[in-house]
Amino acid sequence: MVVVPLLGALSLAACTAAGSDDDPSGPVSIDQDWSEADPITVDVYDGLANYMGIQGGWFGKIVKDKFNMELNIIAPNVAGGGDTLYNTRVSGGELGDLVVVDKGRQMDELVEGGLLLDASDYYGSMTNVSPFDTAVQHLNEGKEGVYGFPTSVSSLKPTESSEGIDPTFGPYLRWDLYADAGYPEIGTLEDLLPILKTMQDAHPQTDDGKPVHAISLFKDWDGNMMVTAKQPATLYGYDEMGFVLAKADGSDYQSIVDPDSQYVRSLKFYFDANQLGLVDPESTTQNYDTMFAKYQAGQVLLSWWPWLGQSAYNTEQNMADGKGFELAPLQDQKVFSYGAEVYGGKQIIGIGSGAEDPARLAAFVDWLYSPEGILASASETQGAAGPEGLTWEKGEDGAPVFTDFGTKAILEGGADVPAEWGGGAYKDGVSALNVSTVLPIDENPDTGYPYSYKYWPSYQETTSNPLTDDWTSHMGDPASTMDYLQQNDQVVVAPGASFTTPTDSSEIEAIRSQVKATIIEHSWKMVFAKDDAEFDALLAQMQSTVDGLGYATVLEFDMANAKAQNDARVAVAKEFG
Amino acid sequence: MFLVVLPFLVLVLVFSYLPLAGWATAFFDYKPALGLSGSEFVGLQWFRMLVSSPTQLQQIGQVMANTLAMSFLGIATSLLPVFFAMLLNEIRAPWFKNAVQTLTTLPNFISWVLVYMIAFSMFSTSGLVNSVLNDWGLITTPIKFLDTGEHVWLTMLLWSLWKGLGWGAIMYLAAITSIDPALYESARIDGAGRFQLMRYITFPQLMPTYVVLLVLSIANMLNNGMEQYYVFQNAFNKEHIQVLDLYVYNIGITGNSLSMATALGMLKSVISVLLLVTANAIAKRARGTSII
Repeated sequence: MVVVPLLGALSLAACTAAGSDDDPSGPVSIDQDWSEADPITVDVYDGLANYMGIQGGWFGKIVKDKFNMELNIIAPNVAGGGDTLYNTRVSGGELGDLVVVDKGRQMDELVEGGLLLDASDYYGSMTNVSPFDTAVQHLNEGKEGVYGFPTSVSSLKPTESSEGIDPTFGPYLRWDLYADAGYPEIGTLEDLLPILKTMQDAHPQTDDGKPVHAISLFKDWDGNMMVTAKQPATLYGYDEMGFVLAKADGSDYQSIVDPDSQYVRSLKFYFDANQLGLVDPESTTQNYDTMFAKYQAGQVLLSWWPWLGQSAYNTEQNMADGKGFELAPLQDQKVFSYGAEVYGGKQIIGIGSGAEDPARLAAFVDWLYSPEGILASASETQGAAGPEGLTWEKGEDGAPVFTDFGTKAILEGGADVPAEWGGGAYKDGVSALNVSTVLPIDENPDTGYPYSYKYWPSYQETTSNPLTDDWTSHMGDPASTMDYLQQNDQVVVAPGASFTTPTDSSEIEAIRSQVKATIIEHSWKMVFAKDDAEFDALLAQMQSTVDGLGYATVLEFDMANAKAQNDARVAVAKEFG
Repeated sequence: MFLVVLPFLVLVLVFSYLPLAGWATAFFDYKPALGLSGSEFVGLQWFRMLVSSPTQLQQIGQVMANTLAMSFLGIATSLLPVFFAMLLNEIRAPWFKNAVQTLTTLPNFISWVLVYMIAFSMFSTSGLVNSVLNDWGLITTPIKFLDTGEHVWLTMLLWSLWKGLGWGAIMYLAAITSIDPALYESARIDGAGRFQLMRYITFPQLMPTYVVLLVLSIANMLNNGMEQYYVFQNAFNKEHIQVLDLYVYNIGITGNSLSMATALGMLKSVISVLLLVTANAIAKRARGTSII
């Protein structure tokens, strides 16, 4: 008899805790037509976005039609100043109605600070997300609720590369000039120098008289180290974990300031290149945009990333003339490749605790994981195909083919969208979220082909041109760059363990921020040093300064993380591989 | 009487004393998402870290050296606007005088970001100066004006002079107009020439104004701002350009160590108080009255 009033008291307490009648206290269905709901504007704090303001164009129209809401994108990348915008907004107690942030420190902090909504009540009816339940559970482990949804999820095996056609990293040269030089064999990294010298000497100016340099550097993305000096290390299978360069197969861990490290080797490579006059002297002061414009104008001959050299210079016109960037393999390379992340990528999508209409946002997030949502919202650089009916349609055999509009808009540099799709230039209407919920290499259940158009047979047939023809015939007819690397055993896949780096303690963070400033400052000075003696002196100075700042403490922490990451990779490869 | 003062007291309280509460940040492991109350109290950890190793001390020493050096250079050149105003005053043709004054005052209204853009388009490796020198065959490799660690203090001084000279002269031009004409008349009767008038009448009459401004600038010694140094900084000149304000910014905002940056910022206040006490002691000895 005593039990009943007690239960009553408990349920009463539960009601009070829930706050108001609007708050759900059990599973809530999100399965309804939102197009007639009250119009709302949603603040989206998006760490990946490169556009700030209201989402417009065709994607904006789709979201408006389906959910009757507008997305107001808040982009720290555009605002600049590192974490300033994030810090200001979180200390104000509201980051956004919808957030795209890093997992690990940021997500943990937001959950602990009560800035993220527990979406457990909606999760049950989010049917498009549920196929990736393992990843969702893994992300929210130990958090008593569903606070975040993983991005870049995949149904591929973790030991398979997530990259598909083009690797993330690779030695890309201006293939036309490399061909003019007689396709010299490149034994190892340093062998590039004489070849680049020949290429630059033969082609010192662009057709319109602008100076050409083999190498151009930029500083915007310098983090733990000078970002352009990390790239050559990736050709040998290393990726960074703080101040550690860890090999994908767990066979080697290097401290970057060690004189024998790949990082110092890269610095020496740039230093030698500069001595030969191969480095753009504006490297020290320019930003990414300025450098990108130089790639577009054909003023740079080497790119460590396909998505830099190729996306800037390999236009239809240039490729038709036989000009463009293609992979020129180093004989001893073992290119680092990211395996498909079974538990999702570095960023997460979350719903803010102050969101006005969380059910609608949950429905929106769920839609982003549906085939329709993926095609419309995936980031364009990864081969997002756009909405069915506008840019592509199913062909006679059910395989996706570009429409005339799609060919113009995506492959030929742009087109204006028809009014019923929202109007405006196609490029301006692309989703500013810039987030891929599901990897573009994954198969679209509606068509049986991957989401990314780069894998469609119809696309691969149309892209033949003098440049790729020359490259393919010279390389022995591989189906793609990745195919070539795999055939020649020149790639090493780091299993996608979705490892979350533990949060730096504040002490480590403080030391790290001073150490990395020192490393970056000295790295740049080393590249542009007058002679070998100055290079060595700067290296010694860098080592002693970082030691004095407490480098050893941070290195120990990073080493432990790198090894834990490798353990996770081994485990996930065993479990899913 | 008290009521008349009250609004100002409130302003001082709100804008000068209330922000001091933010100093509490220095004793916590502050995380913005958790707020101060949710962050861990760490006592003097950040202060200990700032002095924990010779390298740390050396870095702070370098920053202090930069700060003081650039402030001293600024103070040492603070007589230039006086001379500039005196010479400007001697120009007879009004249109020429106005033109010079306008042109020299204008840079003061250009923000540092734009000044840097001007500097960049003139002095970058492919800028105007290097292109011209190259075309004339005087150099083969571009001279690095901006990305070098040499003569940083001097170039920074020149930029701030270019920006501030005309503006700084305005106050003295005003002071010159208020000099009693009788002084000039009697000097002329005594046979003083134009330069003697400047030397014996104008200059001494400007000194009180100058001294007041000098004392104010000494009090502001550590506040040499950061905008100028922020826009001009790069990996090559960082060692010599990082003044205290910029260092605090780089650690707190760029490096995201807000608590440590606060601790460092408190250091600035401590030194400012020391400077004030010293200046006061000197003033007391020299003039017999204290300023506080």
